[in-house]
Formats: sequence, structure tokens, C-alpha cells
Amino acid sequence: MAEKVFNLTRDMLDPTFADLVAPDREKLLTCIQCGTCTASCPTAHAMDYTPRQLWRLIQLGLKEEVLSCNSFWLCTACYSCTSRCPRGIACTKTMFTLKRMALSTGVAKRHATAHFYEAFTETVRRHGRIHDVELMTIFFNKSKRLQAISYTRLGLTLWRKGKVSLDAAGVNIKRLDQMEAIFRKAEELERKR
Amino acid sequence: MKYSYMPGCSLLSTARGYDTSARAVVRELGSELIELDDWNCCGANAIESVSYLLSLALPARNLALAEQANRELVTGCSSCFFNLFKINHCLRQEPALQGKLDEILAAAGLRYSATCRVRHLMDVIANDIGVKAVTNRVERKLTGLKVVPYYGCQIVRPSDEYNGPYLPAALDKLIVAVGAEPVPYLWKTRCCGGVLMTTEKAVGVNLAAEILAAAQSADCIVTVCPTCQMNLDAYQSEISVELGVRIRMPVLFLTQLLGLAFGLTEKDLLLDLNIVPVSGALRQLQKI
Repeated sequence: MAEKVFNLTRDMLDPTFADLVAPDREKLLTCIQCGTCTASCPTAHAMDYTPRQLWRLIQLGLKEEVLSCNSFWLCTACYSCTSRCPRGIACTKTMFTLKRMALSTGVAKRHATAHFYEAFTETVRRHGRIHDVELMTIFFNKSKRLQAISYTRLGLTLWRKGKVSLDAAGVNIKRLDQMEAIFRKAEELERKR
Repeated sequence: MKYSYMPGCSLLSTARGYDTSARAVVRELGSELIELDDWNCCGANAIESVSYLLSLALPARNLALAEQANRELVTGCSSCFFNLFKINHCLRQEPALQGKLDEILAAAGLRYSATCRVRHLMDVIANDIGVKAVTNRVERKLTGLKVVPYYGCQIVRPSDEYNGPYLPAALDKLIVAVGAEPVPYLWKTRCCGGVLMTTEKAVGVNLAAEILAAAQSADCIVTVCPTCQMNLDAYQSEISVELGVRIRMPVLFLTQLLGLAFGLTEKDLLLDLNIVPVSGALRQLQKI
């Protein structure tokens, strides 16, 4: 990756950022930039910033740069970095926080993975379980419709084999009322935080 | 032994073969999986990206239901396993979460007291039922079949409780137990691409390609996660293009492999639902 030079000015830095992002700020600040996380990460090669670089940007408080990059959207939560970090930094958990923060501030909208997570959440709220066809339909509607074409053949194969059904209501749990109550309460408590 | 069983969403759809073969194999081994009534989606990786509290509350509802049933909760899905397991872990680490979780579950008239033990099906077969019992049940030894033991990532990561995070051995032992040969394989716990196969296909294909390329000396891959199976099985034409080599590697669920050794039929194990035909690996068996 080409080196990127920042001409840092005070207004680019948000000193509270590390506090907001890391479950344990003190630990994140002890990152020694060893790069074990990056070496362990199966998707680091496709990231705007590798995990190691990302921690440094967070330490510095470069909030906008961090939240607008693609790195955390490429985190598949395999937890390799977390289990190997010699400082015990909660790397994967931090990636999740960045995803939530990017979603709630609106900068995430252009990332397909963000659309997928939102579509997933919508489907679970509606049915209590995942209905693949509905999930994919919402996802492709929200994101890149054209991309759906490359999944058509697979979709048909799965349907022919009886591995996916078109009946979304068929997956409904009995106590959808409990599901809705849980969603509402969780939202209410998240707002209070 | 009787267990509460949560198949998870994938095992009702794209991984139906896993659900059917898991129930059949566990029955053959003298244990019983009793489906948890009205279980819900565990949230996979998606919900934690949207709401932290919801990512705790969804699996906790299942745990609350399983606690009422008073049995250990087993799942064959590594994502379900990870999310369910995480709740007990988080409640131990951060006792303050209990209050919040109580409040959310109370809205649904439920409560979870953190007493339900969560197990992965692989762990139950390897360690409760045991390798010896599996060997004893074998009717048709899979001698000579070279099998890649692919664990995937989430089954081994959450804890030190079993296996260790990088070179687990439970699956290898079960492959030996049915007379087959586990191939030495360094990518055992490498990520299969997960959701990226859907959202960032080039990256997803790249990850799955690495895993399949490293497995070429084997007759088949065996896995214990519905997402891993799907990503490795369903995209081999794209992966062949990526690698410039034609890949045609059967990817079986552990329980399908065990079932074959137990003399169950391809129909019992829904082997015809796998995308890459398993017949190639089976022919290999007949040769031997």
C-alpha cells in the first residue's frame, strides 16, 4: 500500500474518538504497532487501512478518516487478530463498534456489507428467523441491484434442490410478539446510552 | 444423553443436509437432539454491526428458552454457537450487562440466569459421545479416503474451553475414527469469506480459493459450519476461474461423513443437496 501523508491539524483530531470506539481505551493506547493483527487478518490486503494502521489512526483521533474507510466492513469477525494480539486489545469488538458508528452517522451507506447487515436485521425483526430469498431481495434492492445477476444461477440451483423456499412467512417463529418487544426494548436502551 | 437442539436458520434452508444428517447420526450414536421450541435467529455477525444490545438479546432469548428446558443447548452452526456461547462469556466478564439483558428479556416475559451450557455439535460428538463410540458404530470403514478437516474460524475462537484457537484436533480424531485419513492442513481455522461472498464477492472468492487450493491433495473437505460449507461448495466455478485450475472438490458436513461410515444412505444424509457431487469421493472409496 502506498504511504499516505497526513498534514495534521487540530480540527482533524477528535481526542474522544478512542474512548468511543474501543471497549477498553487504555489497552488500545498500548498498541505497539507490531502488526500481528494485520498478518493474521485474511482480508487486510483489500482494506484501505490494515488493522495495524487503523489502530494508529484511532489513537490519533482521526475520526472521519477512520469511519469513511472500508477496513471494518471487510472484517468477517474471524477473531484471529483478537486471539493473537500480544496486548490483549479487543480488535474484533472494536471493528464492530466502528461498523455501528459508521452506520449511525450515515457514512456507511455506500458499503454493500452495511446494506446486508441492515437487510438482515429487518428480516429477523419481521420473521424471527432468516428467510434467504427475502434477505437477498432486500439486500440487492438496497445496494447494487446489478450484482444480483451473478447470484441468479446459484439461486436457481438452490431453489431446484429445495434448499431455499419462496414462502417467507413459512420461517416465522410463533412468538413474533416477543421478537418485537425485544427489538423495541433494545432500541430504547441503546438510545439512552 | 438428551440435548436441546437449535438447528439455526441455515440448517433449515441452504444447509438442510447438515440438519438431517446431524439428527440421524446422533440418533445412531444413542443420543437425542430435541429441537428447542420456537428458537430464533442468533444474529450471526450482522446484528452486532447494528446494535450491541440486540446482539446479546437475540441469542439470550434462546438461552432463556433452553434454561427452562433444563438441558445443554447444542447447535451445529458455528455462528449460532459463537453467539450463544458469547452471552455466558460476556455475563461473566461484565456483570453489569445482566441488568440490561434482564430488562430486555423481561419485555418479552423471559429471564436468563446464565446457567445454560452451550455446546457445538462437533464437541458433543467428539467429547461426550466419544471417538470410541463412533468407531464402534462404523459399518463401512472409509479406509483410504483423504479428508481435509476444515473447522472454520468461529468454532474455535471464543474461548480456551476446548480445542485451542489454531490447530484443533477434534475433527481430525473423528475422521480417523471412521477409518479415513485426515490430511495435514494448515488452513484449518482460516476464514472462508463469510458474508463477503455475498457483499464483496471478489474478496470472498479469494479467501475460499486459498482454502480450496491448499486442499487439492484430498478427496473431500469436511466442515462443521453451514456458512463454510456453502462458501466452499457453491462457488467453485468462480474459484476455478480465480485459480486458473478446475476445482471440483466435494465439501461434506461432518455428520454426512460419519453417516456414510455408519452405513446410512445418501438419501438419509441428503448428499444430493450438496452442489459439487459427492459421488467422486465415494467412487474413490469403492476403488479402495
